[in-house]
Amino acid sequence: MTAPDRLIAVERVTKRYATSSGPVEALHDVSLTVGEGEFCTLIGPSGCGKSTLLGMLGGLVHPDSGRVLVDARPVTGPDPRRVATVFQDPGLFPWRTVLENVEFGLELGGSAAARRRAIATELLPPLGLKGFAEKYPRELSGGMKQRVAIGRALAIDTKILLMDEPFGALDEQTRVLMGEWLLDIWRRTRKTVIFVTHSLHEALFLSTRIAVMTARPGRIKSVLDLPLDYPRSMESPELVALRAKLWGEIREESLRAMQ
Amino acid sequence: MTLLARAGLFLVLLGLWEAVGRASNPLLAVPPSAVLPALRDLLLLRSYPDLPANVLLTVREIAMAYALAVVAGLACGFALGFNRLIGRAWGPMIAALYAVPAVVWYPSLMLFFGLDAASKIAFGFLLGFFPVTLAVLAGIRQVNPHLVTVARAYGAGPLTVFGRVMVPAMLFTLVGGLRTALALAVVGVIVGEILGSKRGMGALINHAYGLLRTADYVALVLVTLALVVGSDVVASLAERRALKWSE
Ligand SMILES: Nc1ncnc2c1ncn2[C@@H]1O[C@H](COP(=O)(O)OP(=O)(O)OP(=O)(O)O)[C@@H](O)[C@H]1O
Ligand SMILES: [Mg+2]
Repeated sequence: MTAPDRLIAVERVTKRYATSSGPVEALHDVSLTVGEGEFCTLIGPSGCGKSTLLGMLGGLVHPDSGRVLVDARPVTGPDPRRVATVFQDPGLFPWRTVLENVEFGLELGGSAAARRRAIATELLPPLGLKGFAEKYPRELSGGMKQRVAIGRALAIDTKILLMDEPFGALDEQTRVLMGEWLLDIWRRTRKTVIFVTHSLHEALFLSTRIAVMTARPGRIKSVLDLPLDYPRSMESPELVALRAKLWGEIREESLRAMQ
Repeated sequence: MTLLARAGLFLVLLGLWEAVGRASNPLLAVPPSAVLPALRDLLLLRSYPDLPANVLLTVREIAMAYALAVVAGLACGFALGFNRLIGRAWGPMIAALYAVPAVVWYPSLMLFFGLDAASKIAFGFLLGFFPVTLAVLAGIRQVNPHLVTVARAYGAGPLTVFGRVMVPAMLFTLVGGLRTALALAVVGVIVGEILGSKRGMGALINHAYGLLRTADYVALVLVTLALVVGSDVVASLAERRALKWSE
């Protein structure tokens, strides 16, 4: 069995992409551990390798060196029994209805039609998709598509949930509401969530830990622990202090990324 | 409304045809008033008692040619599409071959397959094969790689990716190619029959035309037309069903 504080372990991982203009180093010597039941947020400038890191946890990207362990086992490929991913680009299947998209993972996992229909149908109202079950993706707004993608990931009910800027396409108000909703799910199910965002507010509001990444090649610059209760108030003195600290770290890297 | 307009236009054209037909040589420009009795005689099996057998033969040749074109086209398209190396070498060749007017191959097909059904099937096949292959190649290029990644993340292996992602993503292009192929297979078989055959619709048309039985000729062309339009209607129904999501 794994030690519960090391459900996920990224050990000295490096990743280079071959491009037409030579190799690009996306991640350099990245190490990170995430304990069971944590809500760990990755934050860092655009192009610093956050999606790449999530891809590795999901078994879709292979490190050039170092290794990634989930449940003490090295990740060799996708494992939908343990890990579900919400991608940065929702990636809905345009020929499937909303309901059929949400059912996708269950279908591949071989669950019976009636059962997966029931699970998917139950997920739609909290996602604000009630009444959209039979619609096709092209009839949805960007934010709705992203919510369908979240439903597809939640439907397979995995221990680990990887979310790559899941609320990036939402307006600020919906974003806050979806954050509250996600918090509620996370606290009820005790899933382990790895979450990518560009929003400091979202990171501070949701996370138990925040890993700040450097500009490319991505490294872990610092890890902040947030041992605070939920729901959180942005006005609380602890959070105000953490916010200032986080902003300092990120500002530096964002400036570097822009040079 | 459009239906009424279409019917009106149709009647006007018929009237014009009648007028021109009567004014000029009625043997060459057959007026509709002469076609109608010919069509009746044809359908009542008076002028060509062996019409049903010939229709059946043509339909069977078309079905055979189309089935072969689809199977070979799909196999060839996927083989080229999935194998980058072969695909790069042969893809442009296929497109170039498609551009050659296919009729130039027909004499050699007749030499090779004889004057009977085989050469007609081969010609229909030849015409239908290319659009299927090219549609598969174009379709594979259209598959969004991100969707393949998503499917893999949810546990899809190569076969599942093929069936649940590639085929549906390609369907639009693929169905278009299959429909074109059907139309071309029909053309191939009938042209083949007209160019050299003793049986089949094309042969009847040739016969009527050769004996200057122009009214019979037009009636036969109309029956053939019904066959072609009928096959395309079936194809378009299948197409609409397959592409329900994109409407
Ligand atoms: N498949 C790929 N081929 C080549 N280069 C890639 C590939 N995927 C990512 N990269 C490069 O690797 C770097 C990290 O990309 P990644 O998508 O992980 O960044 P990110 O932190 O998720 O950025 P963003 O916040 O904009 O989503 C970028 O410079 C990107 O151009
Ligand atoms: Mg990203």
